[in-house]
Amino acid sequence: MLAKTRKELFLNADKSGSTRIRAEEKHFFFYPLLSAFIRVMESFCLVLFALTVNPALAETMAIVHAKAWPMTDGSSGRLDDATIVIRDGRFESVQPKAAAPAGARVVDAHGHVVTPGLMNANTHLGLVEVSSLDETTDYGVDSGPLGAAFDVQYGLNANSVLLPSVLADGLTRAVTSPASASDAALFGMGAVLHITPGADVLDRAQVALYAGVGGGAAKKGGGSRSAQWLLLRNAFEEGNAYAPKSAGAPRDQLQNSVNVAALHAALNKRMPLVLQVSRESDIRQAVRLADDYHMPLIVLGGAEAWRCAELLAAHKAAVIIDPEADLPFNFDELGARADSAAILQRAGVTITFTVSGNTIHLSHNAGEAVREAAGLAVANGLPYAEALKALTVNPARVFGIGDHYGSMARGLDADVVIWDGDPLEPSSAPELVLVKGVEASRVTRQTLLRDRYAPKKTGDVWPPAYRD
Amino acid sequence: MKLAAALLAIIGAAAPFSGPVAKDKDDEHKHHEHGPKAPLPWKTDPFPSTYAPLPRADTLITDATVLDGAGHRLEHASVLLRDGKVAAIGAQIAAPSGAKTIDAHGRWITPGIIDVHSHDGDFALPFTSLDLASGDTNESTDPITANVWAEHSITVQDPSFARALAGGVTTLQILPGSTNLVGGRSVVVKNVPATTVQAMKFPGAPYGMKMACGENPKNNYGAKGRFPSTRMGNVAGVRAAFADAAAYRQKWVDYESGNEDKRPDDDLKKDTLAGAIDGDIRVQWHCYRADDMATLFDVAKEAGFHISAFHHAVEAYKIPQLFVRNNTCAVVWSDWWGYKMEALDGIRENAAFVDAGGACVTLHSDSPWLGQRLAIEAGKAYAAGRRAGLDLAEEHAIAWITSNPAKVLGLEAKIGSLEPGKNADAVIWSGDPFSVYTHADQVFIDGALVYDRADPARRPRADFELGQPAMPPPPVKAGGHAG
Repeated sequence: MLAKTRKELFLNADKSGSTRIRAEEKHFFFYPLLSAFIRVMESFCLVLFALTVNPALAETMAIVHAKAWPMTDGSSGRLDDATIVIRDGRFESVQPKAAAPAGARVVDAHGHVVTPGLMNANTHLGLVEVSSLDETTDYGVDSGPLGAAFDVQYGLNANSVLLPSVLADGLTRAVTSPASASDAALFGMGAVLHITPGADVLDRAQVALYAGVGGGAAKKGGGSRSAQWLLLRNAFEEGNAYAPKSAGAPRDQLQNSVNVAALHAALNKRMPLVLQVSRESDIRQAVRLADDYHMPLIVLGGAEAWRCAELLAAHKAAVIIDPEADLPFNFDELGARADSAAILQRAGVTITFTVSGNTIHLSHNAGEAVREAAGLAVANGLPYAEALKALTVNPARVFGIGDHYGSMARGLDADVVIWDGDPLEPSSAPELVLVKGVEASRVTRQTLLRDRYAPKKTGDVWPPAYRD
Repeated sequence: MKLAAALLAIIGAAAPFSGPVAKDKDDEHKHHEHGPKAPLPWKTDPFPSTYAPLPRADTLITDATVLDGAGHRLEHASVLLRDGKVAAIGAQIAAPSGAKTIDAHGRWITPGIIDVHSHDGDFALPFTSLDLASGDTNESTDPITANVWAEHSITVQDPSFARALAGGVTTLQILPGSTNLVGGRSVVVKNVPATTVQAMKFPGAPYGMKMACGENPKNNYGAKGRFPSTRMGNVAGVRAAFADAAAYRQKWVDYESGNEDKRPDDDLKKDTLAGAIDGDIRVQWHCYRADDMATLFDVAKEAGFHISAFHHAVEAYKIPQLFVRNNTCAVVWSDWWGYKMEALDGIRENAAFVDAGGACVTLHSDSPWLGQRLAIEAGKAYAAGRRAGLDLAEEHAIAWITSNPAKVLGLEAKIGSLEPGKNADAVIWSGDPFSVYTHADQVFIDGALVYDRADPARRPRADFELGQPAMPPPPVKAGGHAG
């Protein structure tokens, strides 16, 4: 199946995109309309959120006999035989050997591991159904006017079959990111998903601005990564100079008005900047760029981030690591190594996880594979508790949802998983998943196929289509 | 070199190969007078293996949990590797004089892992713009390229080989890619660092022939306005190729038996296809969907060849009985799904369900990343089967990455289990091999310790990795000597 290797997807996309850009140049006069449309969509979505009812039932639940990982600031790790109290869909308390409150619904964890619902720091969930089908992928624009202004929130599909699947693997939150854009280096803005049944899966929109620089993408800068950095800096300069009320844009502007307005807003908000970079030189440039424009830096990929771990720590940068990507895949990733996560964490860098897995694990196995990836990081020296942080509190804080998710701290959304084993073993699975205190179904398209074709059914005379 | 020549002679006697063929006219004339005129071309190997085992010591590994690949689990057991073979396995084995002893208390031993679907070497790292323009994996210029051989694309200095070795992989089948109906010949290699591909080739291993069904061939050629552009076109293309090859094969058989004097014209494409019909070359077919595979079982029956394995086989769980009936293996991943339409129905119980149906199942990588972690793949597939209520044991599931892939390659008499007389390919694991936390501590191929996690001197690195400032510094070797 080799055609699906990791970077080929991006590189092929670049190739096809270059022809389509030409085809769409004549539509540039649509920009103002587009901008207006986006504003309308934004206000429409705000109305929708206001009408959304919190699905959590007004009840109290107590998970008893839990081997709990509360992930709270005060806790130093695991609490054995803990009682986790949830009220109205939020955490109330986690205490060892505590009695369940009177009237609470009691769930016995039988000494099994209990964690907050997990979070994957980079996926395309909600933006992809079948990776090879253009009509089901919405995570990137490789032609047209949108660069920085591309915003994935409008394309989210809450009915994707991937969502129940990753939820059944214990993932309740995920960053869903833009992958590429027609712009020189800016991909657009990502969102955090709350993976929950129902139409409302958007947790927070515009959580970060995404860009990418490196050898594979250098063509977009005219053939040099130096040009890519210069174009990025120019884009930020134009964003800074943009004055929404002024008549007429500055002379010689490379960014169109839609993108420059988005950049202006991002810079003003000090929106985190996710830079997809691998080579050490590019990571160091990323630090300078983020510093110069006062944006918190998140390095995505960062195969050679371990080479400048102290620098990243000093600048409070975070890294989204793929612990499976331990090979010198290309000239940008020569320094890739299996113990990157351990080195970065030791140096004081905030780490989070993603996993590409030939792009297959990225979204379709975003729950199972990210646990395996975290386990591999532990196998290569990362302390266990730090791996769990990288799946919960770290991405919650980095992507700005720490006020309502990430740990079992009082008042936070009660996303909870009871595991049948060690959650960092990919062969383990959830026994119970709660989303805001409500049990989530673990029935997925895969489990239905499993049940339909179970070996014990092979004697059935009627074809499988008659089975559930 | 003498050892290599001797080994070749030994293995050549038992193998379908008869060494390089002399095809000059004098030679042909001589055959004409004294018997067969020439060996059938698909029974020859013009690129013979020069593999020689690396220096080895007889080794007794003691006090380990052993999964022998033949269905047994032994606790606190010993394994004796002697003269490159498994000599004994059991509770109490005395160390022969001169044998090295390794205390494996708390550790596990399995046979060497076999990856039957690798592109290491022909999809060599680093991947460059040169590869993007024209890579070495697919000769995609024609739907039938049975004439190309994967071994001629292999970059032996691909760092992925050593990484797979660190994951316990001792034998690999390197396949051409999957854009063609017939992609070419595979090659089976021992995962030993070498400067030539011949020095990696597994002596006596049958060749494979890579084929592909479904989306890849029809999309690749259809997009170019060429045949085939449909699934029915795929099938027609395969049937036509085999019909041609059958006629060609008959000409050679008639010529060899003396019934026909005129030497058939050489045809490298038809050689490989004729070899597949004869069973000398094993058919390794990339195919995802149950209905596609069912059709191809019939195609094979019509054309008179045997399908060794369907690779990727995402829907094998829907038709396990067809795999049993055709004596074909399902080669699968633990959890890949959804990246293309024909992979939409992938389930994690695939391997366990096919196994429960009584068919041979094997896990594979198709990826240099996954190729380092096949034991974890087996662990995931095993756990999914257990969770679905199947009564599976680890000593059974380990076969999915050891003795079953050996069958896929036709090498079950030599590798795949730790039974006396088989090649001493073995892995000592730091713990349960199915766990994400476990490392391969030591890896043996033909009794030679070719990888040792604790000894920098036994951790091979490819030429490309030398002197690269970006790469992690090499581990310091013991003894304080330079280099």
